[in-house]
Amino acid sequence: MEKLEDLKIVAEQWWNQGIEYLQKIPPNQLYAAIGVLLFTTVLLLLSFRLVRRTKSNTVLLSGLTGSGKTVLFYQLRDGSSHQGTVTSMEPNEGTFIFHTENSKKGKIKPVHLVDVPGHSRLRPKLEEFLPQAAAIVFVVDALEFLPNCRAASEYLYDILTNANVVKKKIPVLLCCNKTDKLTAHTKEFIRKQMEKEIEKLRASRSAVSTADIANDFTIGIEGEVFSFSHCGNKVTVAEASGLNGETVQIQDFIREYIKP
Amino acid sequence: MLEQLLIFTRGGLILWTCKELGNALKGSPIDTLIRSCLLEERSGEVSFNYEAYTLKWTFHNDLGLVFVAVYQRILHLLYVDDLLNMVKESFSEVYDPKRMSYDDFEETFRQLRKEAEARGEELRKSKQVGKGLGSVKKQGQVAKSGLDGGSKQSNGESGGGSKKDDGDGDKGKVGSLMMMMTNGNHANDSDKTDDFVNGKENTTDNVVVDPSKLLKLRSKGVRGRGGVRKIDSIGNKSSKVTAVEPPKKATKKNRVWDDAAPKQVKLDFTDSVGENGNGNEEHVDIVAADQGESMMDKEEVFSSDGESEGDDDDDDEARSDEKPEAKKKGWFSSVFQSITGKANLERTDLEPALKALKERLMTKNVAEEIAEKLCESVEASLEGKKLASFTRISSTVQGAMEEALIRILTPRRSIDIMRDVHAAKEQRRPYVVVFVGVNGVGKSTNLAKVAYWLQQHKVSVMMAACDTFRSGAVEQLRTHARRLQIPIFEKGYEKDPAVVAKEAIQEATRNGSDVVLVDTAGRMQDNEPLMRALSKLINLNKPDLVLFVGEALVGNDAVDQLSKFNQKLSDLSNTGTTRLIDGILLTKFDTIDDKVGAALSMVYISGAPVMFVGCGQSYTDLKKLNVKAIVKTLLK
Repeated sequence: MEKLEDLKIVAEQWWNQGIEYLQKIPPNQLYAAIGVLLFTTVLLLLSFRLVRRTKSNTVLLSGLTGSGKTVLFYQLRDGSSHQGTVTSMEPNEGTFIFHTENSKKGKIKPVHLVDVPGHSRLRPKLEEFLPQAAAIVFVVDALEFLPNCRAASEYLYDILTNANVVKKKIPVLLCCNKTDKLTAHTKEFIRKQMEKEIEKLRASRSAVSTADIANDFTIGIEGEVFSFSHCGNKVTVAEASGLNGETVQIQDFIREYIKP
Repeated sequence: MLEQLLIFTRGGLILWTCKELGNALKGSPIDTLIRSCLLEERSGEVSFNYEAYTLKWTFHNDLGLVFVAVYQRILHLLYVDDLLNMVKESFSEVYDPKRMSYDDFEETFRQLRKEAEARGEELRKSKQVGKGLGSVKKQGQVAKSGLDGGSKQSNGESGGGSKKDDGDGDKGKVGSLMMMMTNGNHANDSDKTDDFVNGKENTTDNVVVDPSKLLKLRSKGVRGRGGVRKIDSIGNKSSKVTAVEPPKKATKKNRVWDDAAPKQVKLDFTDSVGENGNGNEEHVDIVAADQGESMMDKEEVFSSDGESEGDDDDDDEARSDEKPEAKKKGWFSSVFQSITGKANLERTDLEPALKALKERLMTKNVAEEIAEKLCESVEASLEGKKLASFTRISSTVQGAMEEALIRILTPRRSIDIMRDVHAAKEQRRPYVVVFVGVNGVGKSTNLAKVAYWLQQHKVSVMMAACDTFRSGAVEQLRTHARRLQIPIFEKGYEKDPAVVAKEAIQEATRNGSDVVLVDTAGRMQDNEPLMRALSKLINLNKPDLVLFVGEALVGNDAVDQLSKFNQKLSDLSNTGTTRLIDGILLTKFDTIDDKVGAALSMVYISGAPVMFVGCGQSYTDLKKLNVKAIVKTLLK
């Protein structure tokens, strides 16, 4: 009990000494010191918040209906497409590390993969996910390419001219799926065909010089034939086979932008 | 016997198929079911026919699962609905989102199937005991019942009977307009209403075009058409009779009022003019119509402020709607539930909200049957779902309805006409558009607007005056052509429109026009000879786009118009491709303030996208359909 009281007395003495010291300082300096302190704390908090906005790890799997997105989704996640798929009515979302990376040691950053349905009635769903996308994989059916070429290129054109994609320069991978089949087209062929179709679309859609209500931006360079290298964001081409599980190129692309 | 039973997620992954019934299905019935029924917001219907199969389905909305049973169409399996429900219940106990394979469910399924089959047998036996009337007649109906051909009336009659059988599965849905095999079944099994239903079946025509039939027709040309012919001839005897009649009375007779000798001279005021319409009329001021940009190219500016206000208003309304309902359940418990959000949505919960929504849609001029079907579809997709916390039932229902509406109004295929025109140009042939519709909807006016828009995009247009019936139609088009300075092909009045169109297309190919716009006479959908003439025009000329012009003021008749047009076009088409309506042009949009429901009815019933919207009477008043704005207006 005595010790407590002693401590109390000592604390009081220190307190009085502190107040005396403070009172010696002219008030202006005091206010200035407090102001600087507050300012630095606020700055620190803000900078923390900025740094904390980590890069999004969302990757979108898009493409026409029947191109194999859901199969690829399950291949990337589980290494097999289980018992098959039907036309998706809703998006498939998952945050995971790739099945092939399961064996790697250490903490790998998981990828938030979203498989957006390709059916034209569900097209508005894609726009919901575009703002958060860090990369887009556009899946094309290499087997039934020519009948769907026009629809696929229109879809790709809509993606490439979307405001989010242009402003944030979201990279796009044109993935040719079903390459395990004999009559599947090569990725070079597909790339050239898509470029040709997009060129035609560019001509027909930007026929009106002023307001183009269909698309937010136009792509390509005026006067030159469209090529994917003209896009502000990076567009690359790769091959894959959903049924066989050959998804290496897709995984490399994704990991390029979402560091493990 | 059952061909296959599948369980898959709404995201598309198949979770389980019955290995016992390992038959591979011909074609892709599941994908077709999803694309043409479930995504078309027709999930409220009883079943779906695809080639030789019939498919039935049920949802587990909470877990996001779909259960589909496929069986041969000619069989009448009574136990399927029962089986689906049992499978749903037992599978939802086993289901785990992380598990991908459910091999042990095979055993459970086998037992369930035996149970369901046994129950079905019992039901059938008990029915057979009670039967007194014509078993012979029943056999005849068994053959017939596999075919379509019912109507709302007969469904209404047999609805009383249907409530008796398959009671647990079917829930007595009377509203379905497709005369499916199961409904035919009900007609068979209910002995009291047998004769009555028979009589009704024979005298009524199809009211609504069965979308599966539409699909069949689109994909299978001759066979589909042959099938349809047979169905019509067996199911609707009276229409067969009427089909024989029209050739006799193909020409309209002038009405004779007095005993005076009728004038036999045909009034044909066709000027003897050249093909390009520069006749012997006085010089009309040819003012090249340049009234600025067509509204097709202008951006739609719609205020987002209106949106928040709309939500507030609508919250208040909904709250006042809900209060009388909530009193039944107990105010406190419902508020508690809406906060914790644990309640599973039941049909009884959804009904008041859906009813209110249906009323609201109908006040916005949506056709009654369409509103009904939509509500059923939304109900099917919400039943059993868990309410999210802090949401009311009405807002969940509203959200689901909004999604459904956006889905319906989003076009299924690209409506980029410019692209199609360019494609046709590459093939060195003109792009032909035919405008069809009933009387007085604005075909000629909107044709001129479309011509103006195309011209602004530097496409060379040619008009073809195939309305050879209405006095002044040719002159009207001639005036438009003069103002827009585009060539017009006309042959005057009382000529065969199909032939005029053909010659117009040949002329266009010769002088290198990119687009040919063909104007036809207005005709009522019930008028057999006129519809025949229209089919002839379409079959002969194979246009690239058949545009149905409909006015936004139309109410419930929109459903009838579109379905009859489609039906006649498919019935009367000849070999090869059956052309149906490819697009809709909605006119007089400026006259309706917010009663925009006609757009929804037309798109739902025909599946064709709205390509243009006419919103005024001058050349620039043509715009594209803004899906989000329409949905917002419909649900306001």
